[in-house]
Amino acid sequence: MMKRLAALLLLGMATTVAFASPASAHGEKSQEAFLRMRTIGWTDVVFSGGHKDANGDIVIAQGEKFTIKGVAKLMNTWPDTLAKGLPRIGYLNIATQGPCVALLERKINGISTPDRIEITKGNYYQFEDTLMGRRVGRWHVHPTFAVKGAGTLLGPGQWFRVTPHAFSTPATLYNGKTINLENYHLVSVWTLQVIGFLLGLIWIFWWTWWGKTAKGNPRRTVTNPAVTLAIPLNDDGLAVGLNTKKDHRVVNIIALATALFLLIGWIWQASAFPVKIPQQVVEYEPPKTNLDAAPTLAEVDARSAKYDYQAKLLRLEIDAKNVSSNPIELSQFVTSTLTFDNRSSGTTPSGPYQDTLKLAPTGTIQPGQTTTLTIDLPGSRFDEEHLLPKGESQLTISGLLVFKDAAGNKSSAEIEEPLQPHYTS
Amino acid sequence: MTTTEEQLEQAQQFERLKALVDKQYRWIDRKWDAVFWVSAAFIVGAACDITKLLFAGDWDFWTDWKDRIWWPILTPFALVIIGSALQYIQWLAWRFPTGMTYTAICLWPLATLGRWLQWGNFVHYPMNFVWPTTMVPAGIFADWVLFKTKSFILTSVIGSAVFAFGWWVSNYMMIAPYLQPAQWMDRILTVADIQGITFIHSQTPEYLRIVEHGTLRSFLGETQYVAIVFGATVTIAGYWIGQFIGRMLAIWPIGRFMKKW
Repeated sequence: MMKRLAALLLLGMATTVAFASPASAHGEKSQEAFLRMRTIGWTDVVFSGGHKDANGDIVIAQGEKFTIKGVAKLMNTWPDTLAKGLPRIGYLNIATQGPCVALLERKINGISTPDRIEITKGNYYQFEDTLMGRRVGRWHVHPTFAVKGAGTLLGPGQWFRVTPHAFSTPATLYNGKTINLENYHLVSVWTLQVIGFLLGLIWIFWWTWWGKTAKGNPRRTVTNPAVTLAIPLNDDGLAVGLNTKKDHRVVNIIALATALFLLIGWIWQASAFPVKIPQQVVEYEPPKTNLDAAPTLAEVDARSAKYDYQAKLLRLEIDAKNVSSNPIELSQFVTSTLTFDNRSSGTTPSGPYQDTLKLAPTGTIQPGQTTTLTIDLPGSRFDEEHLLPKGESQLTISGLLVFKDAAGNKSSAEIEEPLQPHYTS
Repeated sequence: MTTTEEQLEQAQQFERLKALVDKQYRWIDRKWDAVFWVSAAFIVGAACDITKLLFAGDWDFWTDWKDRIWWPILTPFALVIIGSALQYIQWLAWRFPTGMTYTAICLWPLATLGRWLQWGNFVHYPMNFVWPTTMVPAGIFADWVLFKTKSFILTSVIGSAVFAFGWWVSNYMMIAPYLQPAQWMDRILTVADIQGITFIHSQTPEYLRIVEHGTLRSFLGETQYVAIVFGATVTIAGYWIGQFIGRMLAIWPIGRFMKKW
């Protein structure tokens, strides 16, 4: 019976190991599609630094810097179900497999931003993260936008391969001294911990090993209840010889040694680190960007969003009115992590999160003119990113339509339209 | 019975107990003592670690959480619970003032090993960012108070206060280097803050960090001392939760079992 159980257990473990694949994502595809589309629009995300290998991975050495730049728009279509419909505190960060990269600098809208920011629906957040390779291996790195009361939303990711190289993680103290965050004062921490532990061990060994009864015999443990249950709880057993005056003297000495240890430690920290401040909480509202102030080029009204399962095609029909004084053209459709470029407008897809859209009619929209645009998007890309809300509680498509004029001025307009899937049996 | 007979019986009882202290048992030798102390170490250490993680998890993990307001309030409260239960059990059964210290020296190697294996070796956080707190000096003081007072009520009041204060001093020495100001991203932050930003923890955004944010009730800026005193008060509550666990969930069921059989 035992052999069968053991064999079954081994088989189970082997099956688990054989079918388990290494964790390589961060759950971004598990979040509901309509929520990802209605919350953050990621545009112009660029990873730079190192060099690309044949697989498209960026190769960097430990300690080598790289940057992630991009824009995250907090969508006006933000749903009421997240953060009570009013996102107020955000934190732009990185998602990866632990500290395999280290963050050296984070700028949001041009300002260094170590911590959280105050955010407003409809605003753009231009971010620039400077990081360095830290842990050898192949890692998937995403920019993220965490919103208090909602959760963390992931932007487009990139595989990095970190190769071995000597490195440190420097920081500069108030007195100009440079420290290495990898091991700064680790020895002090361990030394203090071990001294305290040894004092505790002495205490326990006295009571269990070194200490003797009044008659000088080794002190027992498991047989003591025969005595202790016969004397009052507030009796230390001194009279019957369970404990002795020597015990009192020894514990006084150990307690005194412990107090002395703390006193010396306190004096050490006070003299070695005379300037200390409490942990800092940095929170502010970043300045608005040019994108926020850019004049609107187009007003849009979505007419329909249809998905054909057989053709794997998402078709959007949009009424777009040029409200600027120059001809404009649709250059991109952005939804969550995906960007679809209109090649005829001069934009070209690059990277795994970009693709091409088909636009009809092509060409520019004249000032004051309203045109119905038909935009065909490859459904396979939505499928890969789990961005088609096929079986969700809200069948809607949301995103940003980016228009530009001949002078290079850009502005985006949000759309939100119920999705009409063309089901096939 | 007359007074003389009572005194005689008390004297005989006293002599019987004195003899029992040093009685040599045939089947229960000292290796059973060692079996108990060693095998219980894992359960006690794990119970204390789980309680600590339940009530003061993040404060025990990250240096940028180890602040002067929440850390000294929640962590001693969490740590004292299992220590108090063990203090009652070991005092009741053996008259050893060892419960707190035993819990502390069981906890420290387990917590440190866990931190090193899981957070150091597996995820590669620097250990100077994720070191666990120690309760050993605090535990020694609390056990000393019990041995001197022989009273759980006095130990709960004096011992818990000494525990909370001793815990703060012994751990503040370790956090001190990480509270130094440093220049980072055009700001002055502590070294601990920089560790929290640099060594990315993806799923815990900074705004989740519960540390001192400032209050108008700041007692002339001496919030640290107010927090320590409040922490000591809360630790008294933790001490009695531990006493309840020791008395009602450990000793009382054993008593029922022994009576039954």
